Amino acid sequence: MSSPMKLERNAFQPGAKTVEAAVSVAAAAPVRRKTVLRMLLSDVGSCVALSLVVLAILGAVFASWLAPTDPFGNDLANTLKPPGEGSLLGTDGQGRDMITRLLYGLRTTLMMGSASVVFGCTIGGIIGFAAAYYPRLSGLLMRFMDILLSFPAILFGLAIAAIFGPGLPAVIIALSIATVPLMARVVRGSALVVLQQGYIEAARSLGLSDLRIILRYVLPNCLSAIFVFVTLRFGQVILLGAALSFLGLGAQPPTAELGAMAADGRNFLFFAPHVSVLPSLVIFAVVLAFNVLGDSLRDALDPKLRK
Amino acid sequence: MLKHTLQRLLLVLPVLLGVLLIGFLLMQVVPTDPAQVRAGPTATHDVVEAIRQELGLNQPLWKQFAIYLGRLLQGDLGVSIINNVPVTQELGNTIGPTLELMLASLVWAIPLGMFLGTVGAYYRGSLVDRAIMAFSVAGVSLPVFFLGLGLIWLFGFYYPILPFTGRVGPLWTWEGIQGIILPAITLGGVFVGPVARMTRTSVLDELGADHVRTARAKGLSESRVVLRHTLRNALVPVVTLIGLQIGFLLGGAVVTETVFSWPGIGRLAVGAILSSDLPMAQGTIIMLSLGFILINLAVDVLYAVLDPRVRGT
Repeated sequence: MSSPMKLERNAFQPGAKTVEAAVSVAAAAPVRRKTVLRMLLSDVGSCVALSLVVLAILGAVFASWLAPTDPFGNDLANTLKPPGEGSLLGTDGQGRDMITRLLYGLRTTLMMGSASVVFGCTIGGIIGFAAAYYPRLSGLLMRFMDILLSFPAILFGLAIAAIFGPGLPAVIIALSIATVPLMARVVRGSALVVLQQGYIEAARSLGLSDLRIILRYVLPNCLSAIFVFVTLRFGQVILLGAALSFLGLGAQPPTAELGAMAADGRNFLFFAPHVSVLPSLVIFAVVLAFNVLGDSLRDALDPKLRK
Repeated sequence: MLKHTLQRLLLVLPVLLGVLLIGFLLMQVVPTDPAQVRAGPTATHDVVEAIRQELGLNQPLWKQFAIYLGRLLQGDLGVSIINNVPVTQELGNTIGPTLELMLASLVWAIPLGMFLGTVGAYYRGSLVDRAIMAFSVAGVSLPVFFLGLGLIWLFGFYYPILPFTGRVGPLWTWEGIQGIILPAITLGGVFVGPVARMTRTSVLDELGADHVRTARAKGLSESRVVLRHTLRNALVPVVTLIGLQIGFLLGGAVVTETVFSWPGIGRLAVGAILSSDLPMAQGTIIMLSLGFILINLAVDVLYAVLDPRVRGT
């Protein structure tokens, strides 16, 4: 019974796995940006993942230009057309073009993910820096983070939807809350490593303010760890958000959202499976791309993990 | 040992109170008036006022919280707005199927994940290892509902050999077992990847340990080295970490139950929220949170039993 493996609480949670991965990056020596990019591009898997992510973002941003039809324009004469008939990817239960719906759905899903990650990481980041910089606060703050961490995101989703009613805001609030403790751990872990460096002591002896030290010296040196975490977390948040929307707790009709679209297609699963399958496939592809990219980024930024 | 357990118990109390407080406040922030709801839309002002009195709704908030806690201790979580069934009764009916589903998923997903993780670690860097890791990443990225809908399409429609609508019968009947196969594959499917990853890391660490080298040097057979000297040690942390992961599994259970119309607590919660049945929603959320707190507590204690190093802290 002498496994050297870190037996940290919750270390096995999908999110906490990310925490460990990200913090290990902070502990590693800095790697030049060019090197990272070259390493990413030399691997076929990460190349494909990177292209997929870029494609998805472009598709979502330019949805209104790319979409061939109106996302809310019903055409009840042409419902549930299989792919190839009239439209490349067919139509849904209300005759709306699937390409259009997928593009707009992707936009909603990615926006939901970005909002949750931005809110959650900002609050979590502040808590993490505070906990690292002020050891007195650390115990209380991190204990509270542990408590938050012991509840799964779906439960936050249920509770928030019960209070504010189902909808995109409820999902974003829930996923932000679920992201806060993870980000706090990443930031605290990496900031503690950075705070031991000589230049921090130098900055302190120059009499710089705490805020200035954190913003000028600690934060920039934690960025690569944060970057790895955000990439991996983004995929997880999209997956969770889509699941909540699938349950009907997220985006409400007629808003196009990938999870809600998959739920919508359940009714036609046997005679028009594309209505469910296509949005599910898009979610799968995007999440997989973010996961692969996050893993490769971590490997590239952490020289210890290189083969 | 006892001290550790007591310590954990003490730490749980404030969390428990916090969850109950949030559950209580949940009823306060919603705009609907519970007295009005219970009295019905045609009730006179006097009747509503009498009910308000009876429910203690004109008391100060902290007193209401005390009353609420008292009722909770007696197992009274209110009555569903939709069908007037007591919330506790409905909870009692759904908790069994949810536990059933989770057990049926773990029973195959954990051994398979452990097996794949061990194989991957043993043949580290080989094609097999890379395939297993790719499979694991794909599993983590797969939406639960996609897997569920895919299985329904395949085994409910294309080769219609398995039922997919709800709990067909109790588990000790043939129909019951058939009915749980697809939901259990769905829910367990998302669990295999993480278990495999975790096991792989743990086994890799263990394979490099001194006592494993000693075992090899003694000339023991490879299977004995792996099974007796590596796995036994490597699996202890994995088992405890799986316990902590149950929460993640329950999240998946909510989706799986909805996809398969499985009469569990997750589906009950979603239905209650969508139909604005607040007492029911509150009850299910409190119940689920309690479940988590208890599981976490149990894992904490179990962890100390398995790993003596933890007890001191």
